[in-house]
Amino acid sequence: MRVFDYLSHLDRRIIFLLVALAVVIPMLVPLNLPVDITGPVKNVYDKIESLPEGSVVLISTDYDPGSEAELYPATEAIIEHCFRKNLRIYMMGLWPAGSELGNMALNKIAQSYNKKYGKDYINVGYRPGGQVMLLSLGRNFGDVIKVDYQGIPIDSLPLGGGVKSARDISLVITFSAGDPGILHWITYFHARYGVPICGATTAIMAPQMYPYLSSGQLTGLLGGLKGAAEYETLVDKKGRGLRGMDSQSIVHLLLVGFIALGNVILVYQRRRG
Amino acid sequence: MKTILPLIIVFCCGFYMLATFFIPARFSQTSSQTLQNWYLGVMAFFVFIGIFNLIKINVDKIQRKLRDWQYSIILLTFLGVMLGAGFIGGRDSKVFLYLFENFQVPLGATMFSLLAFFVASASFRAFRAKTPEATLLLIAAVIVMIGRIPIGYLIWHKFPDLVEWIMQVPNTAAKRGILFGIDLGLISMALRVLLGIERSYMGGER
Repeated sequence: MRVFDYLSHLDRRIIFLLVALAVVIPMLVPLNLPVDITGPVKNVYDKIESLPEGSVVLISTDYDPGSEAELYPATEAIIEHCFRKNLRIYMMGLWPAGSELGNMALNKIAQSYNKKYGKDYINVGYRPGGQVMLLSLGRNFGDVIKVDYQGIPIDSLPLGGGVKSARDISLVITFSAGDPGILHWITYFHARYGVPICGATTAIMAPQMYPYLSSGQLTGLLGGLKGAAEYETLVDKKGRGLRGMDSQSIVHLLLVGFIALGNVILVYQRRRG
Repeated sequence: MKTILPLIIVFCCGFYMLATFFIPARFSQTSSQTLQNWYLGVMAFFVFIGIFNLIKINVDKIQRKLRDWQYSIILLTFLGVMLGAGFIGGRDSKVFLYLFENFQVPLGATMFSLLAFFVASASFRAFRAKTPEATLLLIAAVIVMIGRIPIGYLIWHKFPDLVEWIMQVPNTAAKRGILFGIDLGLISMALRVLLGIERSYMGGER
């Protein structure tokens, strides 16, 4: 079988080309595939729906541009939902570039809902220190946060002055691509202060979070771009998550095809000895 | 004394912080908060050490014309440009935001998305059912990959449920086992450090 001999030495540039086509073509010709809603994503939606108007939601953007493609769509979808429900957003980041990415989404969506900086939302920027910072933060926000990301004294802002400790936070939503991130929020903020935690993680991190979901330490979870697409479906706002699912679908099918083909070649090679 | 003093500091600080966690008295909470604030101050200082180190290493690379030294020039130039844009115009300035949104974000996303190409190549060449364990992993991976995309739902509407079951039962059971192992190891290591049995953090001595 010359075909299998040829395929077993397939130039990897052909594989790269096929992957590129599988990503680009669905972007040019959208398939608009329907997205099913999974339990962990619905839990995040229901938790936000259950909060009374004016509640403070702490959003922590714990990722950098490397994970932007997976986590930024989720950031936008959840901020959209929070503002639609008239919740107040207290944003921060455990990663240096995270607060900038969060700010991009926050400013863009706040404008469309006529939200005022300082009253309806604030961003206190990057906060170093990982778990120790979170322990201090829960006890007394003033010990860790004295100014917002622009250097404005936090007490001069109505929302900033109103949040003194973890007791003033109704929900934490972390967008997490690694360490420090969601595990620190669960271990040090939920366990110590009892604040409910929801999260959006990269797809590769999502399986690690299931023990915390089943124990109730994590209320809900958006896993990867699929989680963002599900959330966009729930809030009825088509964004990059839903648009990206077409490409992701074709690439996944292509990968399954590669795996199957690789194993057919393995069987053929074994039979030939 | 050079060995004993750090051990005493680690022992005292470590056990004191451990004790304050279980003692809700005002004094213990205030003092542990002070120690934590000191830690945060030290952590913030690490950012400057990081930048200083980055500059030092790359300047050295340029001076000695080591391999790919040209990239170090680009790195240092853009480090200077980003720092300058941030300090002069502030983090909301048009220049800073333009550089962040149009350089840093797409470059970071590009680096990460390259993984897709290598994963595709690896799935073809290396993901083979050579043993029963590898076969089991392969079957689970294929089900999860298909069940996590909208096409999977169209192929068979129970695919997403099957994926959730894999995630919630076998995956959670395995992860819990791993987590217990890690946490027991962490507790044991922490005790070894606090009691001075593990001393490699002081420079390799055990």
